[in-house]
Amino acid sequence: MEDGGDDGRRPQPVGSPGSVPRDLDRELDRLDDERMLDKLTRYWIDERNSPDILVWQGLVVEETLDKLQAQAEMVQKLQEDPRTSEEEHFRIVLIQTEAERVKFLVRSYLRTRLHKIEKYAAYIIQTPEMRGRLSVTELAHAQKYHALLTAHFHSSALSGLPESMRSLDDDEDESGRGTVTRPNKAQGLFIRARRRCPVSLPNGGILELEKGAIHLIPYEAIEALLRLGDVECL
Amino acid sequence: MSLPPQLRPSLTPQELEFIACNQETIEIIPLFGMDRIRLISGIYGPFVPPAKTRVPLWLATNLKLKMKCRIIPPEWLSVDYLNAKVEEEIAAEEFSELPFRYAEIAKVLLDTASDNIQQADKVRFLLKELREARQAKARKGLSRIDFSLVDLPNLCAMEINEIRPYFVKAMGVMGQLTAGMHPPGGGGGEGMEIDN
Repeated sequence: MEDGGDDGRRPQPVGSPGSVPRDLDRELDRLDDERMLDKLTRYWIDERNSPDILVWQGLVVEETLDKLQAQAEMVQKLQEDPRTSEEEHFRIVLIQTEAERVKFLVRSYLRTRLHKIEKYAAYIIQTPEMRGRLSVTELAHAQKYHALLTAHFHSSALSGLPESMRSLDDDEDESGRGTVTRPNKAQGLFIRARRRCPVSLPNGGILELEKGAIHLIPYEAIEALLRLGDVECL
Repeated sequence: MSLPPQLRPSLTPQELEFIACNQETIEIIPLFGMDRIRLISGIYGPFVPPAKTRVPLWLATNLKLKMKCRIIPPEWLSVDYLNAKVEEEIAAEEFSELPFRYAEIAKVLLDTASDNIQQADKVRFLLKELREARQAKARKGLSRIDFSLVDLPNLCAMEINEIRPYFVKAMGVMGQLTAGMHPPGGGGGEGMEIDN
């Protein structure tokens, strides 16, 4: 399955190529934790930039929430303990500051998805592939939201129209008119290649993306690469 | 509502700054003693003055604001380096190479730790010049826009965010204009037919 992103592939620091050089020892010292946050940040940026809703990254979100909770429990224990030193209290302040930053990241990721789910609810429900990209709770929300909206439209306006004009799931016709809002897959996206990979362009050509290269490309051309984590949004 | 309208088109400059503060690390000289600290992003320290240690940018500015450290600015945030960069930028056709999040890092450091940067005012001025030279190039790049692809080496995060609305829109319009000219599945525009 596609979820889980690039697990099992060689780890790649998401950091910028031009950033201050870091030495290897320190990099190895940092365990898996940093990769988790970097991954979540990448998924967040991808989600914010792409017109379509992307695959739900449940593993990373859950792992992050688990870490946050474990830390909150530890902090609470230390705060209740009268033997906790001054130094320890200062450390707690820093830990809490970081926790707030991480929470912001998770929240913004979820909110971005929620916005897209509500915007494309009808389309998601019609399309099995889209439904598969949502988490269980997200899908339940999409269905409830769509049902509410449909009921509201019917009771406020549609019931007064002739039978043939009441449908809310007309697909878009040639002129782009329809009742189902779909993501504009031709929208341009700024991306960077995380590893060397080929892209088939809409005009039929094939382009080899070099690692680290920055391009502006229509979303439909890199949709699959984005899911594999071969490219990232900027 | 779930996502305020001003956040929908792209990340905001503040959010780019947030990312830079999380992902970039910087060297500090702590002014207080503390053992290693285990954060979600990694383990940092120990903090033993006057030994240098490397921490995430947000942690550095947090400590700096509490006057608990001195920040060692990166090599590129200096008058000499930036002077050379500005010259290179003006002379060359291409974008010169800079750290991907240089604008964010420079802003954060100049805001919180300008007393740790030598000739901070001059550095500020040079960064502005650099930005203007690069902006002019980015605008020129708009003329190279194709409906399927633009290649943008060495462009930085903040600059991409700045040109994003125009470039994406321009690409959309180009796509619409050329859509009728390419026969479906065809590779070239030989049969230049326009329907309708």
